[in-house]
Amino acid sequence: MTQEAPGDAQQPRDPDAPVFDGPPLSLEEELAARTEPAPGPDIDTVNESLANGLNRCPKCGSTDVRLRSSTAMLVCLFCRHEWQEARVEEEFGLGEGIDELQGTVVAGGADAISDDDVMTLTCGGCGADVVVDTAHALNARCHWCRHTLNVNDQTPNGAVPDAVLPFRLTRDEAVEKIREFASKRRLLAHARFKKEFVPENVLGVYLPYLVIDARAEAAYVGTGEVQTRCWTEKQGDNSVTYYAADIYRVDRSVTFTVDDLTIEGAADRAQFDGSTTNNIVNTVLPFDTKNAVKWNSSYLVGFTSEKRDLDVGDLQPVLTDQLLSIGRSQVHDSLSKFDRGVRWEQEQVDVGGSRWVSMYVPVWLYSYYQEDTRMLHYIAVNARTGETMGSVPVSQWKLITAALTVGTFLEGIAGAILVATA
Amino acid sequence: MITQTIMGIVLATSGDGAPLWLLAAGPAGAVATYWSLFRYYRNNDKLHAFERDTLIKAQPVQGAEDKVDHIAKTRDSDIDGDISSKHRQRVQRID
Repeated sequence: MTQEAPGDAQQPRDPDAPVFDGPPLSLEEELAARTEPAPGPDIDTVNESLANGLNRCPKCGSTDVRLRSSTAMLVCLFCRHEWQEARVEEEFGLGEGIDELQGTVVAGGADAISDDDVMTLTCGGCGADVVVDTAHALNARCHWCRHTLNVNDQTPNGAVPDAVLPFRLTRDEAVEKIREFASKRRLLAHARFKKEFVPENVLGVYLPYLVIDARAEAAYVGTGEVQTRCWTEKQGDNSVTYYAADIYRVDRSVTFTVDDLTIEGAADRAQFDGSTTNNIVNTVLPFDTKNAVKWNSSYLVGFTSEKRDLDVGDLQPVLTDQLLSIGRSQVHDSLSKFDRGVRWEQEQVDVGGSRWVSMYVPVWLYSYYQEDTRMLHYIAVNARTGETMGSVPVSQWKLITAALTVGTFLEGIAGAILVATA
Repeated sequence: MITQTIMGIVLATSGDGAPLWLLAAGPAGAVATYWSLFRYYRNNDKLHAFERDTLIKAQPVQGAEDKVDHIAKTRDSDIDGDISSKHRQRVQRID
């Protein structure tokens, strides 16, 4: 409730009289004042409870906070208090209204990217300025007072996502998974790989992904064939099988929604052309993205992270490609009549609406660089589900020997059959 | 796999093909062994199956099929360019 000043009560002001509100503004100031404020993100995912600098334990105020993988919760190393951020699914309504999406809705952390990676944080403990290269880390120790500093504001360089999916698999569990995966492939593995294999060198990495909800309609046109007859004709000593078939013009369309389609947010890992092992990390998808929580860089303490460098605009073609593939898989069951197959010739997708959220997902990575082929091999473990996939360098001479052995064995059997039937 | 390869070749000889087809068993088996072992170690053919693993809600499929022609006699057992199961193979896009 406001109180009226005594002077104003005695001399009521004429409402039509001009009000003096300071000296006139310069032209530049006037233009700046009239400029519309920059539009905010479609979904504001900033964690309001945090700011750049110190992330303090809500119970004791210590900044020694990190993730406890076994519980997927943050733990204060000083007082052992455990807590977690809210799930973004409920906090920002990300699981709702997919069938009503219109246009492209982009969350704050998935916005366009700039190239400015270096940030200066002022330590809340001692006031020192600490430089953080956000391309590689979102936490830093103050070199004076040893407080842990965190980047929590959404930076325009793509380093801070909307949400983070915390590690749940511990390092020891990941090491065991990697060891088990490699041990099944020891026999023909490259000798140097076997010699240098140290699964304890595994690294926990948060990788950037864009998680997309979308509403789409896909349509396909093609040709299908239905077999009407099958018969065999004798031609000399041989018999030849012939077929008769009806040819159909086939069209199909389907309307669908996808929930949490997950696409790589880093260009280096988005190509799967066979010259790299990028497909390995892609194969450990999907993640339980419904359990992602609001951004808090304390989840990254002790892990490395990779910066997102692809925008929503860069990934629109990938989304439409994947929606077309999903549509094709949806119409597949309606083609059972065409027992000779269907040749799709044209396709169309209309994306009615999409919602983009950037997210860090956790992966345990063991990498090995094979010098002779200049190939970087990975064994990757999904740090939520434990799914493991990898690329193990193979010894070519062992592989060729194995193939020749089997070939010779088969040729021997073939020769024996020919001799027996001659 | 080896047994299946042998059976396939043996069955082939009992039908249309000449027994000399059997001589291809060795090279074919060697190539098949090489590629299957290579793929087991390198997993270069694996990718995330987003068509299967993503949460999808689809309306009933709409569509039609009209008979446009008839093939009276062919040795092909299936249509040329069957991609009904190759969901990621893109065709001409209509805008």
